[in-house]
Amino acid sequence: MRVRSPRRAHRLRTWTAAAALAATALIGGAAPALADGDNGGNSGDDGGAVTEAGTTFRGATVLEPGQEGKAAASSSDYLYWAFGAGAGQRPTVSATVRLPESSTRSGTSRWQLSLHDGLRRAQPCATGTHTRTARQDVAEVRLRCTLRPVQPWADTWSEDPLPGAYFVRVAAVGLPEQDRGLPIEVSVEVDAGSAGGARRGGGDLGGPLVPSLHAGTALAGGDAADGTGGTGGTGGTEGDAEADRRTLELAEPDGGWSGSWWSDRWLWTAGGGVAGALAAVGGYLWVRRPRV
Amino acid sequence: MIIGRRSAAALCAMLVGLVAAGLPGSAAAEPVGEDAPPPKVNLVLDVSGSMRAKDVGGQSRMAAAQQAFNEVIDAVPDGVHLGIRTLGANYPGENKKLGCVDSEALYPVGEVDKTEAKTAVATLRPTGWTPIGYALRGAVKDLGDGEGSRRIVLITDGEDSCGQPDPCDVARELAAKGTQLTVDTLGLAADDKVRRQLGCIAEATGGTYTSVQDTDQLSDRLKQLVRRSADTPLENPAPAEGGERCADAPLLTSGVYSDRAEFGQHRWYQVELQPGQELRAALSVAADRAVDRDYAVLLRAVSERGTELVRGREAGSGRTDVLSTGLRYPWNGEEERTVCLEASHAFSAPASVQRTPGLPVELTVDVVEAADTADVAFFGLARGWIPVLLLTVTGLAAGLLAGLIGRLRNPVRRA
Repeated sequence: MRVRSPRRAHRLRTWTAAAALAATALIGGAAPALADGDNGGNSGDDGGAVTEAGTTFRGATVLEPGQEGKAAASSSDYLYWAFGAGAGQRPTVSATVRLPESSTRSGTSRWQLSLHDGLRRAQPCATGTHTRTARQDVAEVRLRCTLRPVQPWADTWSEDPLPGAYFVRVAAVGLPEQDRGLPIEVSVEVDAGSAGGARRGGGDLGGPLVPSLHAGTALAGGDAADGTGGTGGTGGTEGDAEADRRTLELAEPDGGWSGSWWSDRWLWTAGGGVAGALAAVGGYLWVRRPRV
Repeated sequence: MIIGRRSAAALCAMLVGLVAAGLPGSAAAEPVGEDAPPPKVNLVLDVSGSMRAKDVGGQSRMAAAQQAFNEVIDAVPDGVHLGIRTLGANYPGENKKLGCVDSEALYPVGEVDKTEAKTAVATLRPTGWTPIGYALRGAVKDLGDGEGSRRIVLITDGEDSCGQPDPCDVARELAAKGTQLTVDTLGLAADDKVRRQLGCIAEATGGTYTSVQDTDQLSDRLKQLVRRSADTPLENPAPAEGGERCADAPLLTSGVYSDRAEFGQHRWYQVELQPGQELRAALSVAADRAVDRDYAVLLRAVSERGTELVRGREAGSGRTDVLSTGLRYPWNGEEERTVCLEASHAFSAPASVQRTPGLPVELTVDVVEAADTADVAFFGLARGWIPVLLLTVTGLAAGLLAGLIGRLRNPVRRA
C-alpha cells in the first residue's frame, strides 16, 4: 500500500508549474513580434501622403514607413519610390493604378509592380499578384507584392533580401502604342510586416545597402597603374568622398537595420534549457529516490 | 524545488543581460546633401502655324499653351533656372531652308523675372514650321554646360516638318554628349506620328511623354515637370569610359558613373579594396531606343588574375526603361585588392535602329567599411520541438547518470 508523502505531492505541483511555465514561454513567442508590427504601423501616421514619384532609380521619391505615395503621371511613365527595410521585416507593397477613361484607351494593357533592393537587384515577390492585365473596360488595377523576409546577412552569391533601400517601380510592361501618354493616377503603400522567428537569420552585414547618389571620381587606366603613389592619392580622395558621401535619405526602420534583438528563438532555446534542467533534476531524483 | 524556481529566475535574468549586451548598434544617419548647383529647365514651345487649331477644350492650342506657361512661370520654385525657347515663331514663308532654322531663345535660362517672361510669352502668334531637331540643339546650348540637372520640356502639336535630322536621333546624340539631359515631351495633338516621334524623343533621354487632353492637365503636368527638377536636385553622374580589358580600365571610387555600352560591348572598371572593406556595385543599362523583346544584363566582379569572385545578372522581356543588377563583395584578406568589374548587356535591336552611341550605362560604386559576419542561425539560437526534445533528453540522461554515479558512491538506504 502506497502512502502519498507530502514531499511527493509538492514535487508534482512543481512539475505542473514548470510545464505551464515552459508552455507559456513557447507559445507566447508571437506576442512581442505583434507589438513590434503595431509600432511600425503607427510611427508613419504623422507623414501624410507623398504626392510625387521619381522617374529613375536615383530620383526615386522616399516613402517613410506607413506613408502613402501618390502621383499623377502618364501611362507610359516608369514611376519609382524608395523605402527602407530592416532585417526581420517582410515588406508588402501594394499599388493601385487608376487607368485613363476607357473611351480614350484602345486596348488591353499590362501593369507591373516590381521591387529592387539597394543593389538594384530585382527581388522576387514571394506572394501577391504583382502583374495584372487590364482589359479596356477596367477602371483600375490593384497590384501587390510581398518580399521574402529581409535577412541581416547573406552569402555574396545569394540573392536574399538584405537590409537597406528598396525601390518600388510601377509601370506598364505592355501598352498599346495609341495608349501612350494618357493620364493615370498611381498610389503606393508600404507595410513593413514582420517575418517571425522561423525565418529569422543571424549574422551582420556591417551596414545597410543604401546606394550613393553623388558623382564619383574616376582615375584613368594609366593613373591606376601608378602603384603606391597613385594609391596614396586615392586614399586622400576617399577620405573626402567619405565626408560628402550622399546617399538616399531613408528613415531607419523600427528595430534598426539589422533588426530587433527579439525573436521567439530566445524563448524556444530558453524553454529547451528549462526542460533539460527539469529532466536532469527529475532523472536524478528518480534514480536517487528512497525505495519504499 | 524552490531553489529550482529561483534558478529559473536567475536564468531569465541572465538571458536579459545577454540580450542587452547583444543589442546591435544602429547605423549612422546619412549626411544630407548641401546646396547643389541650380537645376535648369528649358521650355521649348512650338509656335508653328498648326497651333491655331482650336481643339484643346474649345481654346486654340496656342492659347492653352500660353495660359499654361503663365501658370508655370508663377509657380516656378526658388532656385530653378528657367528659360523659354520657341520654334517656328518668326518665319511665315514657304522656304523650307529658312523655316527649318527658325528657332530662338525667347527668354534666357536663369532666374525668372515673372513679368518679363509672361510678356514675352504673350507676344507669341502661331507662325511657321516645326524644326524640332534644330530647336533641341539650340535648347541644349541655352542650358550651357554647368553642373546640375538639365531638363528640356518640349511642347508641340506636330511632328518635325523638316525631316532630317530625325529629332529622335538628335535627342539621343545630345543625351550621350557630356552631362545628363532629360527631354520631356508634351503632345497637343493625338496623332500617331506625333505620338511616335515624341515618345521616341522622351525614351531616348529617359524623359516622359504626355498626350495632353485639356488645359488643366497641360499646366499641371508642366508644373510637375518643373517641380521635379527642384525636388530632386541630383548630382550628375561622373562620366567614366570603361576599358576593353581590366588592365586599361579606369579606377573608380565611391559614387555614381555614367558610360555607354554598344550592343555586344563589354566595359571594364577597377575598384580598390582595403582589407575589411566591401564593394557594392549596381549596374543599370537603359533601353533608350527600340530594342528586341528579350534582354539581359551581367555584372561580374573578377580578380586581377581573372577568377570570377561574384556576379549579378538579370534578364527580362517586354517594355522597360532600364534593366539593372548588382553585386557585393566583402574583402577580408591581408592586403589591398583590386577588383575588376565587367559590365555587359544582351540587348539587341532591329536592323533599322541606330547603333551609336551605345546604350546608357549607370554604375553605382560604393566602397564601405563592412564587417561581414556570417551567422545563419540568429545568435546560434534554436527553434522548434526537436532542439527542445534534444535538450530534454540530454538533461534527463545527465540527471540519470549523475543519480547512478551517486548511488554507486553512496548507496541509498532502504526504508
